[in-house]
Order: sequence, then C-alpha cells, then structure tokens
Amino acid sequence: MRLPKFEYAEPKSIEEASSILSKEDGAKILAGGTDLLVNMKHRVETPAVIMSLKKIPDLSFVRPEDGGIRIGAMTSLKSVYSHPTIAEKLPGLALAASSVGSYHHQAMGTIGGNLCQQNRCKYFNQSRWWRSSRALCFKAGGELCHVVKKKNICFSSYCGDVAPSLLVMNAKALLESKEGKREVEVESLFTGDGKSPLGLRRGEILTEIRVPRECQEGFSTYMKFANRESIDFPIVGASLWASPDTKTVRLAFTAVDRKPLRARKAEERLSGGLQKSALEEAARLVLEEAKPVNTSLYPASHKRDVMGLLLESMITKLLGR
Amino acid sequence: MKHSVALSVNGDTYDVLISPNETLLDVLREKLGLMGTKKGCDLGACGACTVLVDGEAYLSCLMLAVNAAGRKIVTIEGLAQGGELHPLQKAFIEKGGLQCGFCTPGMILTAKAALDEEAVPTEASIRRKIAGNLCRCTGYKKIVEAVSSVAALSGKED
Repeated sequence: MRLPKFEYAEPKSIEEASSILSKEDGAKILAGGTDLLVNMKHRVETPAVIMSLKKIPDLSFVRPEDGGIRIGAMTSLKSVYSHPTIAEKLPGLALAASSVGSYHHQAMGTIGGNLCQQNRCKYFNQSRWWRSSRALCFKAGGELCHVVKKKNICFSSYCGDVAPSLLVMNAKALLESKEGKREVEVESLFTGDGKSPLGLRRGEILTEIRVPRECQEGFSTYMKFANRESIDFPIVGASLWASPDTKTVRLAFTAVDRKPLRARKAEERLSGGLQKSALEEAARLVLEEAKPVNTSLYPASHKRDVMGLLLESMITKLLGR
Repeated sequence: MKHSVALSVNGDTYDVLISPNETLLDVLREKLGLMGTKKGCDLGACGACTVLVDGEAYLSCLMLAVNAAGRKIVTIEGLAQGGELHPLQKAFIEKGGLQCGFCTPGMILTAKAALDEEAVPTEASIRRKIAGNLCRCTGYKKIVEAVSSVAALSGKED
C-alpha cells in the first residue's frame, strides 16, 4: 500500500516547527508514525506536509524532579514503562504504556503521539475501497455520520490507552509554539469533537507531560479489555488513582466517548468511602457519564457492561493491595 | 521532491534517492534488493516487516525511509556473521520454529530485540514480545522453544 504524496520537513527547533505548522494548512506532525501512517495508507488522512519531530533536541526524556515527573513528548512508550521511577511510582501509567499495541508499537510509538492519536470509528478506519461503498462520513470529509444518523456531528471514539492514566493523575501538558509556552491540564487537550479531537491552537506542539508529585504516593492502575491482548485498541480502558488513605479516588475511561473521560460523579461517590453501596452506585454513575455509541465492532451495551466490570476489578485491586 | 539519504543497513552505507512517501520496507525490498524483510499486512498489524532500528524492533512498513537516515538498521540478511548463522537462526532450524518461513525474519528479529533487552526472559515475556508477530503455521510453540533455548544458552555463558 503506497502512502499518498506529501512534502517532508525535519525542523531542528520548536520555533521552526511551529512556523511550519502555522504556515502550512495541511501540515501534520509525525512522531512514531504508528497511527498517522496507517491512516494515510487508508487515505483517511492526506496531509500536504509531514513534519517529523525527530531532529528537535531534548524531546525524549524521563526526569523525576522535586515537583514531579517530567516526560518528553517524543519519549517512546517502551522508555516510559521501562523507567524505574515510573515502573515503581506510577504503575498505572506503566501499565497503560505497556498495553499499547504490540512490542513494536511500544518501541516506535511515543507518549505524545499516543495522547494525540486520531479518534477511531468502524466507518473511518477502513481502506478507501471499503469506504467507497457508502457516502463519506464527517470524519473522512463527508456530511453525515453512519453511527448516529440524526445528529450533525462526528461520533468517533477516542481510544488511546495512556490518556486515562494521565487524567486520573491530573497530569499537565506543556504546549509550545513560536509565541511561547503554556501549561494546560491533559484533560483540556481534548475537545470532545470527533472530527477534530485535539484542541491545540494553531502552531502549537505538545512537548512535555508533567505528572504532579502527589501522584507518586497512593495507588494507581490501568485495566484494558480488548479482543486480543497482543495488539488491539481497547474495547474499554479504565484507570484509577487513589490517595494513600483512599479518601480521594479518581477514575477515567477510554474508548467510551469522543474523548477520554473523567467519571467525576462516580469519583465523588467513591471518595466518601469504599463500602459496597458506594461501589454499586459508582458503577451506575459511570454509565450515566459516558456515552458509548456503536463506533466499533462491539455494541455500546457491551461497552457499558465492561465499564462496570473494569471498575469492580480496579476497586478489588485497590482494596487487596 | 526526492531526498538523497544515506541509509546504514547491516553495516553498509547506501546512498539512495527516495521520495518522502516511501516506507523503509519498500526501500529495503525494492531499492536495496533485501527481500528477507517481508511485506505482510503493510499496516503494522502482522510483524512480518520487523527490522532492528538502533537495536529496537521496528515495523518497517510504518517507518518513512527518510526518517531512517542516521539510524543503524539490521535486517535478517545482516544477522549471520562470517558465514555462520546467528544462534537464533540455528535454534529456529533445530527446533522446527518455522514452516512456510514468511513470518520467520520478523520473528527472529523481534526475538533478538527481546533477548538483547532481557538475556534470560520468562516464557511469558517471550510470548508477550512476539505477540505482534503473526504465524499461521507453527502454533508458536516451537518458536517459543527456539527463543527459550537461545535464552538458556546465553544464561549459561554468564
């Protein structure tokens, strides 16, 4: 399968990269390539310019510091979960990074690329031939959604593994452009709009993830339910962080909505204590908060069942630690 | 616009003129004639195109060849040294870890990356790391046996 034609750029600094992004309408960032190049082979993304970040110095690192752990956006997933501090102090993040794709995807894929991956849908992630049998959907440039026909928006799901594990730790993202830097919550990177899931300003590049120090204490985990353990995207992925006294519990899910989702109502209920009644109510509340639709081969009802099961498994793990 | 790129493959440097949209897999096979690297799904889901890039197992179908400049690439052709097969290659033959052979180059290179990372892995670790390499003939058992036998060997050397 040939890739479509594009111009290739290898900027040597963030300023240069940001200028290219601001100037070129159809420019896309290439990190590990394991998401973008597959979409390009399917012709669902056909950027005019591909800009690799490989030549920009100092984007691949894991630095435990006083204020927390800093992770460069171009750090491979394998380097993330192999780092001793992350493996020991942030098991939720290590589990999430090591559950992405196969061993190869973990060596090639980066934490920044994984966060910024495209939303997915069974009508979008298909070959051009497959898609040619019906009208183009919103995400592929058309004017309808095959999943939710009555609404005028794209319902594709966000399926990244790493995002929920960062959401429960209230991690921050550093965004850089030629105008300067700003730090935002990782959660606020996501728009909830299936067609353009990332809310970066023009010319902005994700350069670093910052995990607050408090998260190194307490309990964290990530659980993934997928068809094949070897390589698949999650049918549902879930992450949980709890303070050492379990008075604060944070919960997030992936592959159940148009963005990675913090389940705040359920968190509130669980933070009051982990008795059985609270767990039952939390399992009901997570279903109210997420809006899975039939964007994958697995029906939304199945996803809802799995959300409850993953929540129960995570709480069992938390109580049994 | 074509780019002139120096690719380091199996210790040799090749100057090639390539378009940005050519994958490393296509350049290896079509420009350098290194047919050992196989094209399976071409979408990063089967592992047949695995090569080593700076020692890591990479899917060459999902890597732009222009992006491979300055990196050390090893394909299956570069594994045997001085006419002597690599221990992993010998083990695959000895244990019967292949039938049709299409997945074998990717399987061996993934196993090499795995063993370089962890000299004596558990069977679970071997299985997890080769899980992205599909084989439709062997049922994986003999492949895992072959990789384990090399791991046990390197354990003895220590």
